[in-house]
Amino acid sequence: MAIPQGDSRWALSPEDLKRLSKEAKNFKGESLWSDAWRRLRRNRTAFLALVFLAAFGGISLIAPFLPLPSPIALSLRDEAAPPQWMWEEPESLPKPPAAGTGMTAWTANLWNDGWRHRTMLSVAVRDEAAAESARARIEEVAGRKSAIELRGAEAVSEDGLSKVAYVSVPLLRTDTPDVIPGETDIRGNVTAWRYDAAIPEASPIPGEPPLEVEPDWRVVHSLELKAPDGTPFDPAQISTWSIDQRTRKVELFLARQDPVPGIGSWIVRYQLDRAISGPVVTVRVNGQLLAGSKPIVESNPQDAQIVDARLFEGIEHDDIGRQLARSFEADPVPGARFLEARHESGYWPFKGLVGRFDDLLLHARVHVFGLWQTGNWMGTDSQGRDLMSRIVWGSRTSIIVGLIASLCSLLIGVLYGAFSGLMGGRIDNLMMRIVDVLYSIPFIFVVIFLITVVNEYRTELEDNFGIDREKIFFLVIGAIYWLTMARVVRGQVLSLKNTEFVEAARVIGASTTRILLAHIVPNVLSIVIVYLTLTIPAVMLFEAFLSFLGLGIEPPKVSWGLLAVDGTSAINPLKIYWWLVVFPSLAMGTTLLALNVLGDGLRDALDPKLRGKS
Amino acid sequence: MLRFLLRRFLWFGITIMTVMTVSFFLMHSVKGGPFDGERKLDPVIEANIKARYHLDWPLWRQYLHYVGPFNLDDNRALFAEDSDGDLQPWRSSNPAGQEVKAFGGVFAGDFGPSFRYKDFTVNEILAESLPISMLLGTLSMMFALALGISAGIASALRPGSGIDLSLRLAATAGIALPNFVIASFLIILFVFMIPLLPVAGWGTIQHMLLPGFCLGLVFAAYIARLTRTGMLETLSADYIRTAHAKGLSPRTVVLRHALKGGLLPVVSYLGPATAGILTGSLVIEKIFFIPGTGSHFINAATNRDYTLAMGVTILFTVLVYTLNTLVDMAYTLLDPRISLEDE
Repeated sequence: MAIPQGDSRWALSPEDLKRLSKEAKNFKGESLWSDAWRRLRRNRTAFLALVFLAAFGGISLIAPFLPLPSPIALSLRDEAAPPQWMWEEPESLPKPPAAGTGMTAWTANLWNDGWRHRTMLSVAVRDEAAAESARARIEEVAGRKSAIELRGAEAVSEDGLSKVAYVSVPLLRTDTPDVIPGETDIRGNVTAWRYDAAIPEASPIPGEPPLEVEPDWRVVHSLELKAPDGTPFDPAQISTWSIDQRTRKVELFLARQDPVPGIGSWIVRYQLDRAISGPVVTVRVNGQLLAGSKPIVESNPQDAQIVDARLFEGIEHDDIGRQLARSFEADPVPGARFLEARHESGYWPFKGLVGRFDDLLLHARVHVFGLWQTGNWMGTDSQGRDLMSRIVWGSRTSIIVGLIASLCSLLIGVLYGAFSGLMGGRIDNLMMRIVDVLYSIPFIFVVIFLITVVNEYRTELEDNFGIDREKIFFLVIGAIYWLTMARVVRGQVLSLKNTEFVEAARVIGASTTRILLAHIVPNVLSIVIVYLTLTIPAVMLFEAFLSFLGLGIEPPKVSWGLLAVDGTSAINPLKIYWWLVVFPSLAMGTTLLALNVLGDGLRDALDPKLRGKS
Repeated sequence: MLRFLLRRFLWFGITIMTVMTVSFFLMHSVKGGPFDGERKLDPVIEANIKARYHLDWPLWRQYLHYVGPFNLDDNRALFAEDSDGDLQPWRSSNPAGQEVKAFGGVFAGDFGPSFRYKDFTVNEILAESLPISMLLGTLSMMFALALGISAGIASALRPGSGIDLSLRLAATAGIALPNFVIASFLIILFVFMIPLLPVAGWGTIQHMLLPGFCLGLVFAAYIARLTRTGMLETLSADYIRTAHAKGLSPRTVVLRHALKGGLLPVVSYLGPATAGILTGSLVIEKIFFIPGTGSHFINAATNRDYTLAMGVTILFTVLVYTLNTLVDMAYTLLDPRISLEDE
């Protein structure tokens, strides 16, 4: 401020000046932020929510570091297992090679094919002794320790074998060349591969170049079934079949059979109009799942190549299943018959920066925890996937989606609102009218319609522009949620433009940029942050909502919506799989509640009207 | 008022045209069309189907046909082989041909045939399912209003008390929890553990209770919040003090005097709430297997039944827009301080 010179009334004595400048130096103003932070800490529920969110977000952010089982590795169980407190038996897990030698390759394998990949072998056995000798044979052939699980079959086969031994052999490939993580993307599919001792020639020679296939399929063209005893089934006997594109499940319901065919391997020949990697085929007779008769997925010659070629993309040298099949054929173990080998693995790599971060975490995990991993502390779902791991990974997906989509909406909304507010007049009027119009459209319907249409172009978009479903998702959500943000920002800018302090700044001669950066932006920022914290839960809810309807995140990825689908589909009057409902709901509910509470707390803390109070 | 309505109508037309045009061209830009992707169709059958849905026309003509009251339909809906084995269109004059009812276009309220439900038009499907959704929506709205307003009043009367705090926490939880989570808990509780209600279906009042509750809960929570804020504001107003001073009973003061002002924010929320209930019904109808419009829409979207999906989208846009306008009008009637010309 310019002081009129020569007027004695305005003159300051040197002492006064000294005193005043000292006072000014000692005066500690409280900034908006420190005041808000103080008030937020006072608000106990909001602070608690903040702490919870930081902890939960941190946990899901470092999910690759945590010793959790793979969230997508299937197991041969047919029923969801309740929570149990245990650690996985460490002997059954592959040991990492000696330090330095094959470490990179080893973690790369972990990276590419899941945290642990293994071959599940099922052997029909007469009793426990036979199971043990079968296991001894398997360990001999595979050259490493294995874990065995013996279960009674629901039907007795003709050769009197009444039980099925599931032997899980961990795979370890120190001879694979170093793979750059993230590049050997097997499209994130769970590669479940089985083949049978009876048809060893159906599998192609390993090492053949993989075929390029579209991982999409819709309809079965032809279907041929063979029972374990070799008798062909007339397709007319298939009363119905269903394909779930989402879960990649093919279910065949056979007409009534008397007697129920015994255990053994079913041969299912099918031709889909496009190839699918790792379909899960189950056969039901009289409505009953044939335990121990996991069908062999085989198909027309060209499809057979495709199915197995996809497999060998991921696993190059491991052929334990085939070796075992030959061994059991050449030198039968008394009381045991080799049924099938099934390779289980799967992981979806994030690409780019996140992928590299995940890779680091995964390395760290191997160094810290070795191969230890938690047991099924929260139980498993109906496909034997570990629920706790699914919740952590699902939260990670949902949180990342929520954050990115909210930031998208923030960017659009702030730019639009600030521009509209600054311009004022006719432009402002028009821009806000457009927002009004968009407000009155029930967006969910338009969005679902859009996603349906865009889905038709997925492969093109992904191959040509690198836009996958998530990115479309971010854009779409961001494009909806910017409306409120734009309105709020515009209103704030409009009122700030005419405030006294902005006018005062202008009077002093501050430049427009300075006014914008020093006065308007910080004032808008607080309200933007408040709306952001309230947008994030809304977006997460929307993601869960769309995924629940099968239009959002897709398997094998996990998200809250998909967990909710699993939970609701597990509700039935016969048995309540409570853990499938309770744990995901708890995670989802507490996070969303905490975000809402935090948002409300922030709104109170940043409200200038309440400043200085409490 | 008239000016307001006219302006609204203008914007309404723009909105509908935008939604319709964009979705029409999106729908028709999809390669292959809705009948591909399964097994290869016989060329004759394919031609027949295409002709049936006018997919052989140029796009602009299809658009005009879909939108307009222009009668572009020349009834060549089906093809037949003539004596030389060539394809000839069946005409209504053709004795073997079928009389095809002329298609009216969206402006005449005709959404055309469904691509998936072969024997149904979109209108028939909507006529069947819309009353169910309407009933469910009305029920949950009534429920949300009843629960929300009473909870809001209860917590506004004693701010800071235990009742207030617990109701506010419940409201936050109601807003935060997705309705499908609440639905699964309630199903386990009231269907399997305490068998009071049927699990799914539609028809009796028992069928409606659980879905109505789950659908309305979120909005009840919002309404409770809004009522609380509004009531707190009005209860501290001068005219309420005057009413108390006149010696009116507290019940009369709250219900007769304070409630009218306190409910204003709720009225303005009714527009978004309607849209929200329509949205929420998608999930609720899916969980409870209710044959309403929402479940049809989801099926249509996942099965690529574009005409049905588009029909529902347009219908709901109209619905939400109309309701929003009504709410705005109601708002001005209730609050004399606001006039429609202001906006």
